Amino acid sequence: MFMRYMGLALMLAMGFISYSEEAKAAEPECGLNTGEKATGEPIVVGGINGNAPPGDFSGGTDAAAAYFHCVNDNGGINGRPIKYIVENDQWNPELAAQVATKLVKDDGVVALVGNGSVVSMAVNAKLYKDEDVMAMASACAISDCYENSNIVSSNQGPLPSGIGALKFAVEELGTEHAACIGFNIPNNGGWACDWAGKYMESVGKKSTALLMDPSAVDLNSVYLQALAEGVDTIMLMLPAGPALGILKVAEEQDGGDTFKWISPTPLYDPTIPAALGDYWDNKLYVNIELGPFNSDGPDNQNWIAVMDKYGEKEDRRDTFSQSGYLSAKFFVETLLKMDSAEINRTNVTKAIKGISGLTSDLLCGPYYVGDFDRHMPNHAGRMVVYSENEFKVVRDCYDIDSSYLEPIREQERQLRLIQ
Amino acid sequence: MILHLRRESRMYATFGFVAICILVLPLIIDSIWVKVLTSAAIFTLAAYGVSLLYSHLGLVNLSQVALVGAGGWIMLRLNYAADFPFEVNLLISAVITAFIGMVLALPAIRMKGLYLALITLMIAGGFQIILSAIQFPNGGSGFFGVALQSPGEMRRPVIAESDTAYLRYSIVIVVFGIMLAAAHKFSRPGRAWAMIRKSEANAMAAGVNVTFYKLWCFTLSGFLAGTAGGLLAGALKILDAKSFPAGESILLFALAIVGGVGHWMGAVIAGFLYRVLPAIFNNIGIDADLSLVIFGAALLHAIMTAPNGIAGQISTLFQAWGRQNK
Repeated sequence: MFMRYMGLALMLAMGFISYSEEAKAAEPECGLNTGEKATGEPIVVGGINGNAPPGDFSGGTDAAAAYFHCVNDNGGINGRPIKYIVENDQWNPELAAQVATKLVKDDGVVALVGNGSVVSMAVNAKLYKDEDVMAMASACAISDCYENSNIVSSNQGPLPSGIGALKFAVEELGTEHAACIGFNIPNNGGWACDWAGKYMESVGKKSTALLMDPSAVDLNSVYLQALAEGVDTIMLMLPAGPALGILKVAEEQDGGDTFKWISPTPLYDPTIPAALGDYWDNKLYVNIELGPFNSDGPDNQNWIAVMDKYGEKEDRRDTFSQSGYLSAKFFVETLLKMDSAEINRTNVTKAIKGISGLTSDLLCGPYYVGDFDRHMPNHAGRMVVYSENEFKVVRDCYDIDSSYLEPIREQERQLRLIQ
Repeated sequence: MILHLRRESRMYATFGFVAICILVLPLIIDSIWVKVLTSAAIFTLAAYGVSLLYSHLGLVNLSQVALVGAGGWIMLRLNYAADFPFEVNLLISAVITAFIGMVLALPAIRMKGLYLALITLMIAGGFQIILSAIQFPNGGSGFFGVALQSPGEMRRPVIAESDTAYLRYSIVIVVFGIMLAAAHKFSRPGRAWAMIRKSEANAMAAGVNVTFYKLWCFTLSGFLAGTAGGLLAGALKILDAKSFPAGESILLFALAIVGGVGHWMGAVIAGFLYRVLPAIFNNIGIDADLSLVIFGAALLHAIMTAPNGIAGQISTLFQAWGRQNK
């Protein structure tokens, strides 16, 4: 009888412990994690996303907003809450200039966090430099984002992610001639496909850039162009929406096996499997710039917990969302090391430029900023394949080979992050 | 005497408006509104070009925004190609765009009404495709000047490096542009346009070279569009093919009607509606596309009850007020 009660008590205790563990895992951890709301003078932070056809890059600012909300509920920055102002540039250069001016000059933000836009960085790169404000971006897709002293992004962008996908395709899928389908934007599709071509040339393979007008996307014609070029691999250097559109065109024409299909990170999105269906099983390979969504890593789990508790229902939960979480987390960690009374733009810019050697399970390498004229801390990724209605990792962290990274590796040597 | 006084008071009102825009406005508005008003001022000039063609000759030009894009393209190309001062680049951009406007008008000039509108809209569509294909210069080499890199430095006038100074500079250029076009009204071309507007046959019979004067008006409208494009390139420092779709020219024409054609105030209202209203909506968190609904309603209002547009209504209001106080 005693043994039976002991057994029951043990089971109950085990159940309680496992429930507590689960409950603890679902509870987000942010900033000071005090559980008390911050009530001091707000620290104004900005964020700009591009959310309009042909692409939605709001995941970064959505996640940063959720994380800052969580930080404000957990003691803020040593008692001071973060007031996060997000603007949408709608892929419009005029609007991008206006909203950035508003944030930087009128609202007086100390920094920009979670930015994700194709046009904003090109238009505003000089403004950030002139006003000495740092942008810790999360969904960068153009060269200006990576070639500016005042912008640093936690996502890789199309250049490393595209070359990463090509490297895998050449080494594992036997790619000989790849088509790089992108937007005809010189510092976006043109830039990324050009460097992808240089990589293919360096390994003795061929590459053809097929660039289309972003304001008049004709998916059928670009697919037929790829057929006419005689390529064996198609790389979709596009936002998720148009990339998915080309996959649908290919499916209608039963082109799934005609080509090997690869893509940089935008297609790595939890909503994509439902749109793809069985047809694309083991046919679509995607290079992911951050960790897998189902990873048990502490930052990935915390990102999920933050989004579950503080995110909005309609928030995107893609790689850029992970990236926004990471930018916001690194930003908060940096501010927490500062004297809260001395948080102003000049000091924050200096503190951000002092970031070096931060790590996360979402990244394959260290995160750093430094006082340099260009930044690309994240350039190693993973490869996943779409299989059985989900994405499965087929190659864990690996770096790319490109002469574009030479100045970046020199920075890493200077910061003693590599030998 | 009364006419003279009226003209004088109108002149004072105009100078007062311009002085407020140049001296006071930039001092009291936030930085975002400096940017927005710069765009509004620039498109005022483009709208005045459309208004000029419609009010003097009854011709509908639906390719004005495309010509603004062409002016911007030339301005950027000159900026990266040569070290000329901003003003020289601006003048060259305006002259070349005027020439493009004239060349495009040559075949279109034989048509009127809906057919001319359709032809100009197709021209705008053609420009959209060309600009998307060749892209805007960003400091690269070759004729097109496009490199697969971040854009280079777009220079501004030495006296207008800051946004506030550039707003003032733009307003001054816009005033000069409008004065240049308005001066035509009181000279030979203005008289010829007035005759053509009444009756092409009568104008021909009176010895007016109809084709020449129509071309002149198209060229002048192109000159204003080219100037606007050059100013826009200086304001944004980077231009994007997406910013000049064919549909924008229709919108600008519609707003010129709403503002009131044939009057500089109409063009100012058109520029304000075109750029400031969407920015106000954006700023207060309302979808800027709502402005299109308002523009539609305003166009209906203008067509049904206010043929001279909002500017005409304001003018009537002031005249009535003047009569009451006489």
